[in-house]
Amino acid sequence: MLLRNLKFALNSAWQSFWRNLAVSLAAVLSITLILILAGINLLVGHAFSQVLDNFRAKVSEISINVSDDTPLQTVYDFQQQLTADPRVMSVHFVTKEQALAQFKADPQNVVLAQQIEGNPLDAKLDVRVRSLGDVAAIDTVARRWPGVDPTDPTNYQGDFVNRMLELSQWLSLAGVGLLLILLTVSVVIVMNTIRTAVYHRRKEIEVMKLVGATEWFVRGPFVIEGIMTGMIAAAIALALLVVAYPPAVDRFKSDIGFIPLSYDPAFISSLAQDLLLAGAMLGALGSYIGVRRYVRI
Amino acid sequence: MLLTPDFDTRPVITFQHVFKTYPTGTEALRDINLEVPEGDFLFLVGPSGAGKSTMVRLLIREEKPSKGKIFVDGIELGRMKRRRLPYYRRKVGLVFQDFKLLPNLTVYENVAFALRVLGEPDHRVQTRVADALDTVSLSGKEHTYPANLSGGEQQRVAIARALVHAPRFIIADEPTGNLDPATAWEIMQLFLRINARGATVVMATHNREIVDLLRRRVVAIDAGQIARDDRSGRYHDVVAKPQVRAQ
Repeated sequence: MLLRNLKFALNSAWQSFWRNLAVSLAAVLSITLILILAGINLLVGHAFSQVLDNFRAKVSEISINVSDDTPLQTVYDFQQQLTADPRVMSVHFVTKEQALAQFKADPQNVVLAQQIEGNPLDAKLDVRVRSLGDVAAIDTVARRWPGVDPTDPTNYQGDFVNRMLELSQWLSLAGVGLLLILLTVSVVIVMNTIRTAVYHRRKEIEVMKLVGATEWFVRGPFVIEGIMTGMIAAAIALALLVVAYPPAVDRFKSDIGFIPLSYDPAFISSLAQDLLLAGAMLGALGSYIGVRRYVRI
Repeated sequence: MLLTPDFDTRPVITFQHVFKTYPTGTEALRDINLEVPEGDFLFLVGPSGAGKSTMVRLLIREEKPSKGKIFVDGIELGRMKRRRLPYYRRKVGLVFQDFKLLPNLTVYENVAFALRVLGEPDHRVQTRVADALDTVSLSGKEHTYPANLSGGEQQRVAIARALVHAPRFIIADEPTGNLDPATAWEIMQLFLRINARGATVVMATHNREIVDLLRRRVVAIDAGQIARDDRSGRYHDVVAKPQVRAQ
């Protein structure tokens, strides 16, 4: 019986979608526009998070300068201690010679490298920290280690990292806020559109109730129709975004070259999932609320 | 053969001191006491605004009484839980003056609707809808839309929908209100046949000719009260005629 009711609800939703095509298309259009905005928000958010990830990867690496008189065994012991720390991803020991070679290999240091006599550079431990928030703590551990070069212990720039952390927090908060506003607006739009559709069909609902339909029997087709509408809108929005994504990135790159924005095809599947799910949920929620007033027996 | 209402059989519909006052303060019904035995055919008559439609709305539980109790088939409607209401309505066949057909469904789909709601399988829906359409002489019009039918035909579709799930009660509110006399008479013949099969029929009507011709039980409502209850009544009170109270 459940299957029969589901079949009836699916048939009824499909028929209603086509029979009230004008209202259905209005709903599809509204949700498509909202989902395009939500999709743009996700894409921009993703692009910025890619840029931020690059920055994070750079600032979550800290170099601990080793004093020249520190015995090698002490350095290895400290390297092991750091490796065992759960906050640390990796530790790489760079000897004085390697440090000099790296310095000389950098094209920016060509002039300086010619003037260097001997090897003034420290050996160092390049530490990659898992979370940007833990870099300060690792820096403190490093500064307390007796083997560190007291004149120039680490390359950690607290202020910059803190500002980066703050910026990334604000950006993700703004993204979530914008997404919430868009979702709320879309639920209200869907609710009102579905309410219009429900109003057109109030007679049908009245008859359903009079012949003994349960609330869920009445509500089911509307909720399914809402899901259908939401998913069609999501598919259209997705298609438009997929087509517009690469040229938009190219245009952005040529206009604002200093922000390393890139096209990420792998993100499309995640975007598709998000949009289809959001479309279905918005449609279902909007219909559920929209139909409520008329369905209550 | 028609069933003769038997006042000795147990009542299946009972109004006990029922009052209905709307939130606006309008007193629609005052101290209604009524018993309807199984298989009865009862006309509710009275001027517009007398309270007939309120009684119908109470019977299908679109409204609750402000005071008093209504029992249908042993269920007290005022205390029935909301989730039980659909199951109660499935026992009742409803017919209205405005037919309440769905314009975007065919005749077949309109009648089948009442069975789809019950979750009946397709093969049973097909046979029962065919039977119901045969009863109301609409076989062959299955694929027609209501807009292409006459008023009488539309009301017959509504009656087919009301009886397709074999309800024990038929409640009709002015079913002949929009029909010409000849068509109204045809529709009444259908109600009589349904009643003859054992269904209890309660019908609110203004149709004087039909009430007078059929001479069934007549409950006259006036200003929210039962003015008279005649076992074999007429639309208007005949002073010389002895009255039989149902209770």
